[in-house]
Amino acid sequence: MRRSHRWASVLPVLAALLVLPGCIQVGGTLSGDLVACKEGDDGTPSNGVVLMAQAVPTASWVPCLEGMPLGWHFSDMDVDRGSARFWLDSDRDGLRAIEIRLTESCSTSRATEIPSDRPEMRRLERVSQVTPMYIGRRYYLFDGGCITVVFRLSGENRGEPLAVATQGLGAVPRDDLRAMVHEDSDGRLDLDPPTTGEGGR
Amino acid sequence: MASLPQAPPGPGRSIPVPRPAPPAIARVRSRRRPSGEPPPLPRALAASGKFWLGLSGVVLVMWAVVVVTGTVTVFDVADTRVLQAISELRSPGLTPVMEALGVLATAKAIHVLWLSNLILLVIVRRWRHLFVWVGVGLLVANLGAFLALALQRPRPYEVEIIGGWSGFSMPSLPMTVLAAFLVSTVYALIPSGTWRTRGKWAVAGLLVITAASRLYLAQDHPTGILAGVVLGVAAPLAAFRMLTPNAVYPVRYSRARPAHLDVSGERGEAIIRALHDQLGVLATDVAPFGLAGSGGSTPLKITVKSADPSGPEESYIFGKLYAATHVRSDRWYKLGRTLLYGRLEDEKPFHTVRRLVQYEDYILRLFSDAGLPVPHPLGIVEITPEREYLLVTEFIAGAKEAGDAEVDDSIIDQGLSIVRRMWDIGMAHRDIKPANLLVRDGTLFLIDSAFAEVRPSPWRQAVDLANMLLVLALRTDAERVYRRARLQFSDEEIAEAFAATRGLTMPSQLRRMLRQQGRNLHADFLRLLPYRLPPVRIQRWTWRRAGLTLVTLVSAVIVAAITVTILGSPL
Repeated sequence: MRRSHRWASVLPVLAALLVLPGCIQVGGTLSGDLVACKEGDDGTPSNGVVLMAQAVPTASWVPCLEGMPLGWHFSDMDVDRGSARFWLDSDRDGLRAIEIRLTESCSTSRATEIPSDRPEMRRLERVSQVTPMYIGRRYYLFDGGCITVVFRLSGENRGEPLAVATQGLGAVPRDDLRAMVHEDSDGRLDLDPPTTGEGGR
Repeated sequence: MASLPQAPPGPGRSIPVPRPAPPAIARVRSRRRPSGEPPPLPRALAASGKFWLGLSGVVLVMWAVVVVTGTVTVFDVADTRVLQAISELRSPGLTPVMEALGVLATAKAIHVLWLSNLILLVIVRRWRHLFVWVGVGLLVANLGAFLALALQRPRPYEVEIIGGWSGFSMPSLPMTVLAAFLVSTVYALIPSGTWRTRGKWAVAGLLVITAASRLYLAQDHPTGILAGVVLGVAAPLAAFRMLTPNAVYPVRYSRARPAHLDVSGERGEAIIRALHDQLGVLATDVAPFGLAGSGGSTPLKITVKSADPSGPEESYIFGKLYAATHVRSDRWYKLGRTLLYGRLEDEKPFHTVRRLVQYEDYILRLFSDAGLPVPHPLGIVEITPEREYLLVTEFIAGAKEAGDAEVDDSIIDQGLSIVRRMWDIGMAHRDIKPANLLVRDGTLFLIDSAFAEVRPSPWRQAVDLANMLLVLALRTDAERVYRRARLQFSDEEIAEAFAATRGLTMPSQLRRMLRQQGRNLHADFLRLLPYRLPPVRIQRWTWRRAGLTLVTLVSAVIVAAITVTILGSPL
């Protein structure tokens, strides 16, 4: 997670002091599988996607990773109550070149709506800066949520990262996640609490 | 100065001084510790430490079993049913109360707990506890985060989560870190005994309250909280019990120097038992002695049974208790001296406390064999293998420090003879100061040979002479001491001594006493000399010193960077 990342940078030195080299490698398990749209033999979304769904209980779609071209790596993930984010690093466009956010809503002021590449989602684009870095945002709006793709690209070729955001980034319907949890628990559990209003404040 | 008697050129003569025999002490047959028997002061985890570590092992094994067998659903269902039952209790009035009760597990509260502990430990200069605290904090926080990422358990299903959360849920990271920090606080800041026991109960209460709050708000699974608390308690418990055992590193709030170990209680009993078993000495009491003059060990006055039928029933022996902390102090001390003085003090530190105590015992025996008036060595006693040793010698009872004692020509001659003899046998004491020169019944004794060196640099030997002259002149005057010195040393040797000695090369106690007396004895001696030699340059730069200085500076920067980083929130 993001907060532990800073600590992880200190850890090697202190682990050496504690004669514990190799015992701990925070972030060592971070890979694209954490937010994969299809994981394992049964091709179900990973638990990271379920966690993102729990972060924004209203979201009808949850972002995930379909796959990444060479030169792109999953960087980090930060999921809290109310929002979820993950980042992608690029060999050419820099660290955290792309950030994917899931929130209940987002501000799309000064963004232009263009034809969407995803059914059931509206797509908007906003370019803030072109040189020396490309800084821009892409919004996917849908029922109960918003996926924001933030670009901070330092490379020359902007086409590839924009394509990564289109083709590599996927989205899983919340209903699929509900079905998966229900099936995995042999029908005993549901992803979301009942909507009858019970159990609230 | 031509009227003063002059020592012949070449090696001077040392005036032999008869050494009084040490007082007789009762001895019994020593006993060899059989294989398998614990040392006098063993280190132990204690039953509760083993219990919590065992419980951690159970948690780890259960995780492995769940991952391998894919039976996480069983736990998910059980946890969900518990949380659903608890959520039935939710009410608009109770929810704010439960939110308030869970405040300790918030990132801000944990950050405050972290910083306040670090600051308090720095203020009370409890460095070892501080390092263990930081180590445990980093270890637990990172291990918890690593396990959560590895296990990837989502938040509770089918129940509305009404509190804040972050990341995966197994183990509950806030509960893991909170438990670790609270237990660390108890072990680092509360003295053992009744208060620490109360502290443990308070910690248990706080953890139960926080856990209840998190379950009410459905932030964590019950099993996640349980696993987090087990890991969070076990890690600091094991670390503090193994690395800062009460007997060795007691938590106390007194003005005692950190270098001085507490010899009451368990350690005191261990010393008495070890003296009996290893040296056959019947000790009845162990008490700190002359702590003010010692920074590198814990000096002890040990009461023992006397063997003199006509005298008192009790006698005394002297002990210097060395621990691993003293080895570290010695290392820093030598690094500091090398950085300050360079090549002339280029010496290697000791790596183990056993080597340190063996060295001092060896030096003491060397001095003793050479006829120098040092306390008779009685041997080394092992308290905890490789961690604590006691160097035992004769106790110079009824003696006064040279700075307070009556100093006559005989004492002056004896002091100068000591230096001459050390020169003859190729040694330097390197810590000639009033506290290390004792006078009793007209006899001068030299004590504390910890810093002595075999085949030292000529500069170091010259410094010994100058410091001896200055100490002897404290209670007399420079002219009288100089007059006696010329009987054993040539003008050239004395001139060299004062050319080599100034400022930092004098022990701090000697410098302090000179300042208190308001006399510039150094200048007085220089005025008495028929000629002066150019001052010996102390600051010598070598590649080693330059490298060490660079490494020290880089290390300081790294430590500063780490310090700044770890001041951030551990969550």
